[in-house]
Amino acid sequence: MTPTAALPKVLIVDDEPAIRRFLRTSLTAQGYLVAEADTGSETLEHLRRSPADVPVLDLGLPDIDGLDIIERLRTEGARMPIVVLSIRADEVGKVRALDLGADDYITKPFGIDELLARIRAALRHRLQPEDEPPLFRCGDLMVDLGRRIVKLRGVELKLTPLEYDLLRVLVAHAGKVLTHRFILHEVWGGDGEIQYLRIYIRSLRQKIEPHPEQPCCIMTEQGVGYRMRAPD
Amino acid sequence: MRPAITAKNGASLIADRAEKVVETTSGNLLECTTVRSVYIVGRKDDFRPGEKRAPRGTRAQDADGLEPAAGKAGQRYHPIFPYAGSLAMVAAAFAVGFALRHLIGISDIALVFLTAVLASAVSYGLWPSLFASLASVLAYDFFFLPPIYSLLIADPENVVTLITFVIVAVIVSNLAARVRAQALAARQHARTTEDLYLFARALAGIADLDELLRATARQIALMLDRRALLLLPQDDWIVLRAAYPQDDCLDEAELAAAQWAWLSDRPAGRGTDAVFGVRRLFLPLHTGRGPVGVVGLDSNDPAGTEPLLTADQHRLLQALADQAALAIERHRLAQDVEEGRVAAANEQLRAALLASISHDLRTPLAGILGSATSLKNFRRMFDDATQDELIATIQEEAERLNRFIANLLDMTRLEARAVRPHVEIVDLGDLVGSALDRARKVLARHHVSVECDKDLPMLQLDPVLFEQVLFNLLDNAAKYAPVGTQIRLSAGRQGDVVRLLITDGGSGIPPEDLKRVFDKFHRVHAADRRRVGTGLGLAICKGFVEAMDGTITAGNRDEGQGAVFTIAFPVPATQTPLPEAAA
Repeated sequence: MTPTAALPKVLIVDDEPAIRRFLRTSLTAQGYLVAEADTGSETLEHLRRSPADVPVLDLGLPDIDGLDIIERLRTEGARMPIVVLSIRADEVGKVRALDLGADDYITKPFGIDELLARIRAALRHRLQPEDEPPLFRCGDLMVDLGRRIVKLRGVELKLTPLEYDLLRVLVAHAGKVLTHRFILHEVWGGDGEIQYLRIYIRSLRQKIEPHPEQPCCIMTEQGVGYRMRAPD
Repeated sequence: MRPAITAKNGASLIADRAEKVVETTSGNLLECTTVRSVYIVGRKDDFRPGEKRAPRGTRAQDADGLEPAAGKAGQRYHPIFPYAGSLAMVAAAFAVGFALRHLIGISDIALVFLTAVLASAVSYGLWPSLFASLASVLAYDFFFLPPIYSLLIADPENVVTLITFVIVAVIVSNLAARVRAQALAARQHARTTEDLYLFARALAGIADLDELLRATARQIALMLDRRALLLLPQDDWIVLRAAYPQDDCLDEAELAAAQWAWLSDRPAGRGTDAVFGVRRLFLPLHTGRGPVGVVGLDSNDPAGTEPLLTADQHRLLQALADQAALAIERHRLAQDVEEGRVAAANEQLRAALLASISHDLRTPLAGILGSATSLKNFRRMFDDATQDELIATIQEEAERLNRFIANLLDMTRLEARAVRPHVEIVDLGDLVGSALDRARKVLARHHVSVECDKDLPMLQLDPVLFEQVLFNLLDNAAKYAPVGTQIRLSAGRQGDVVRLLITDGGSGIPPEDLKRVFDKFHRVHAADRRRVGTGLGLAICKGFVEAMDGTITAGNRDEGQGAVFTIAFPVPATQTPLPEAAA
């Protein structure tokens, strides 16, 4: 991703002025252009006018439910990345937002570095979907998607076809959370069950993670899905 | 008749006794109810053959163990039976008299027959004994008084004997029958008293009010042979709470009558001055402290015209009502005491909650506010390291505040029973990994080791709740174990159970706290420690684990110092087969 000049405008959507202020100052300092909205209708209006902007969307808005906003934007064909601001203990809401077309979520309260990572990951996949980097590196792991080669500390690993498919999907969306449903659809074509996924994640971790119980590549977002750590 | 009976023959003996009885009772036969006579005849009565008195054990086979009083004991034979019995007694007397006819005088044989009459009177009452008297007279005259085999009497003296016999037999029949009636009444009374006693004892053993009311209605109905209802006040209105038979219900007029009986504390309905046009009778139940409810009674006859209760039944009802009222009041008092206890416990908990909230919210806020204002006012005087330190304080304290609020929310969800585990097939190792990742900052100053068996079975858990449980246990270990010590997670299968142990290197849990560590707002006191728990984390662990049908226990290490928390979950019966070999 090329810096500064290519950075899109971020639309901060939250009805709390304190949250908007902190996001505005931090994002501006990072070189993003910033717009603000505090209602759902204002958000929809703004994004129809400027469809390239990236909303950071609080789900609890006074007028329109955040989930409705995501749904409307996606049914209207909008392709911008969407990052959702969610609250704790609402895994169902998070999964629903992701299934409706949000790219990622972050749970309030959060640190700005986490949010910036989410925005970067979402932008990377939305803006360069077809142009995947040929080599993925994360710690000791190296994945070459073009040549179907996986190496740990330089040693090539033998993966089963399903394990490789699973790893490929995770690597292709590195840095981004993937719901169970999304992974099952991508790897099993939609007819898998969640326990298969858990079993394959376990066997994959045992091959690619130095300490499978303390994973550093495939992270679990309990109740939501999995996230491959962003490449180094 | 007196001079006539003082004859020289055997009948005179009987006549003598009869005379005495007649003398003592000459004023009013009806009032001859001396306790002594009841006692004597009553004992004899107990040995009387023929009457079925079922053993207590077999009668008390009702569902709630309450034994209804037998309404009319010993009166269930065919009506001809007493007469046949009397005849048999006379026949026996005849046989004895016939056998002894050459050994004793003819007058003494009358005595034998008189014995049969007495036995009949005691056994069967007045009419069968009169029947026995007649049979005896005929048999005596026909078979024993010359000329035998004829009803004629040759000797005038025998005429006197026969007349005397008739008179004595009739008097004896009368008296013995009366005594028998009294004995029956006394026994009935004793049984009623015993039933009342058993009833009171049974009521004392019932803790549930509805069950108590049902049992009471049933007992009243069975002892009085009437339909019974029990009504209790609820929000100023009297409400039907129990009935026997159970499907009985009240119409509007009856409810009005019951309400009136309740408010005025006087009987209403059938047979009272406040009739209300209803066929039921409503009586208020009260104790020394005032009215507690209303009992409603109805007869089983369709017309509803007969008097509802005899005087005896009324007294019995009063006794039953008193017992019921006492039982209901006892229940009320027990409830009041329990409510008071719960209120006191709630009060204590609320105080602990307020103390906890004010401390655990204000402490981090104080750190945040202090650091922020310092930075705002004196930033230019601080070097970079000091500024970083203040900023780190703000971040750490805000994170601490966030954890505390999360715990408060979890506790509130548990209290409101809003925790509905979303159970899935999960990999324990995965859960351990994500919990460690979340707790990374908290555990930064401890060494963490993980030892999970490679072939752990998949478990049925709510992954989100379980991760929170692990996080809280790790957070707890980090708070109580000194910096630099090791925190160990180990998991393994033992039979049908998977156990996960979290072991720390702190000073362990004092024995007196072991039972209470999972109690809300209970903190293990450690005077030398700055950071103590909020008293919520472990309570949440227990609540969540139990909501997922697991168990959690606290203990201390066998070797070395430190606490051990053990979570155990059953291995699901079926493990998922793989669509493709994973290895």
